[in-house]
Amino acid sequence: MTTITLDGIGKTYGRVAALTEVDLALSSGITGLLGPNGAGKTTMLRILATALAADRGEVRVLGEDPATPAGRVAVRRRLGYVPQETGFPRGFTTFSFVDYMAILKEWSDAATRHDEVRRVLDLVGLSDLGTKRVQALSGGQRRRVVLAQAMLGRPDLLVLDEPTAGLDPAQRGRLRDVLGRAGESATVLISTHQTEDVAALCERVVVLDGGRVLFDGTVDTMIAGAASRVWMGAERHPAAQHAWRTGTGRFRNVGDPPRGAELIEPALEDAYLLLVGDAARDAGLEAVS
Amino acid sequence: MTTYRPSPWHLDDDTLRAYADGSPLPVIGPSVEAHLPGCSDCRERFDALIPDESVDRTWDRIRAEVEAPRRSVAERLLRWFGLSAESARLLAAVPALQGAWLLGLLVVTVFAAVAALFAGEIGMSLFLMVAPLVPVAGVAVSFGGDADPSHELVTVTPYSALRLLLLRTLGVLATSIPVTVLVGLTLPAPAWLGVAWLTPAVAGVTLTLLLAPTFGATAPAATIGAVWSVSVVSTARVSDPIAVVEPAMQLALLAVTLVAGAALILRFPSLDRLGRHP
Repeated sequence: MTTITLDGIGKTYGRVAALTEVDLALSSGITGLLGPNGAGKTTMLRILATALAADRGEVRVLGEDPATPAGRVAVRRRLGYVPQETGFPRGFTTFSFVDYMAILKEWSDAATRHDEVRRVLDLVGLSDLGTKRVQALSGGQRRRVVLAQAMLGRPDLLVLDEPTAGLDPAQRGRLRDVLGRAGESATVLISTHQTEDVAALCERVVVLDGGRVLFDGTVDTMIAGAASRVWMGAERHPAAQHAWRTGTGRFRNVGDPPRGAELIEPALEDAYLLLVGDAARDAGLEAVS
Repeated sequence: MTTYRPSPWHLDDDTLRAYADGSPLPVIGPSVEAHLPGCSDCRERFDALIPDESVDRTWDRIRAEVEAPRRSVAERLLRWFGLSAESARLLAAVPALQGAWLLGLLVVTVFAAVAALFAGEIGMSLFLMVAPLVPVAGVAVSFGGDADPSHELVTVTPYSALRLLLLRTLGVLATSIPVTVLVGLTLPAPAWLGVAWLTPAVAGVTLTLLLAPTFGATAPAATIGAVWSVSVVSTARVSDPIAVVEPAMQLALLAVTLVAGAALILRFPSLDRLGRHP
């Protein structure tokens, strides 16, 4: 079932266009959002999280129009949001910060609210740090505090801007488990630079570049797009868009292979590099012609 | 050397059950308490008598107690004034209610009062200049994107922006006004002067709140501060410094407050984007 529709969305900061004519329909389950820095990922997520209004186009989130005050409140009641960056009020402990967010999310009964705060802290593995000041936590722990508040009240929509940044592999594994479960019923949108996270979690990938949607489909379709474009060789091939020396001492080349190249299975990362690389090349060709 | 050995006797079922139920056992109670830690047999039988949910409940209560968020001094004070725990927590996040700000406020106000006490007319001008600007500055540091580090998270909660705004403003006023009123009443001047600065203060706060969604809170507050300071100084140069808070001025400022307040309420729907974030 479609839960989010973007129809001709545009957003400009001064003269810089962050998003141009984005059309997208998302449904429940986990969608990964990939794209280079400055591609418009954060702008798109902030529009969906009702933190920002689009300049043009129509947005429908969970059947509501975030352009109206009533629609915004309705979306916010069912939303969990992890912004790319956030600070914390001074002097708050982990528990009191999540409790503070729960109060703002209209949990008025203290006993049930505290139970819910404990539940989300357990979920992200922070239950032992409830009494510690947020300022004294490590970067990864603070990231999990932000995630904990997003999980309050089991939201129908989770908008997560780089939730895995700063987490170690074990924490990322745990996060995948939490998000995987949330994605069974909710609409989860994750922006990340980690293609492994997308490959491991997401049913669907959207690639943004220069404020436009470059790709929208399943992880498998995206990987299939890179079939027979990744090969191993003794050296960096001049025709490769990207090439790097692997641990075996041989080179992984991504691009248009020469005849007789030793082709290998592509990964999502290869497909991503090719998508963005091809788009840049096509843009260059257009500019020349 | 003697080694501690568990006593050879065991508790009977009736005693254990009574103890597990929490019935008073005035005679044997202390013996049960002393016996259980040393006798694993009795402990096992005792365990079986305690329902799991009761253990869970006790554990939850302990956990709730241990993890119950510690309240800051400001939070406890607000509770003492009769505010709900929820409102107190929302207010504790406001910079103008945190220690450093409160201390600064006290220092500035006392300094202005000392000046008024010992430096005659110039001192009085200084007090009249500073007193109304203290709450305006408090509002400026408490609102907008620069002031609230978790602004983006707070914005996307369903909590009413107007309600939060009024709650925080009241918090700021409740901390800054009483100190200044007390200090003002100690001045060598008619008592009405000790509170005459309240009208410009309220007008300044209302204007700052009205302009903050468009310009951020800092710029309007600074402008208001500059305009007010110039008025006070220029009044003092041509006549008695007190003239700046005389009835005509009071009426004018009251009118400003009413108009700005009405405009603020009309702007209510756009308030949820308070601050200057792109």
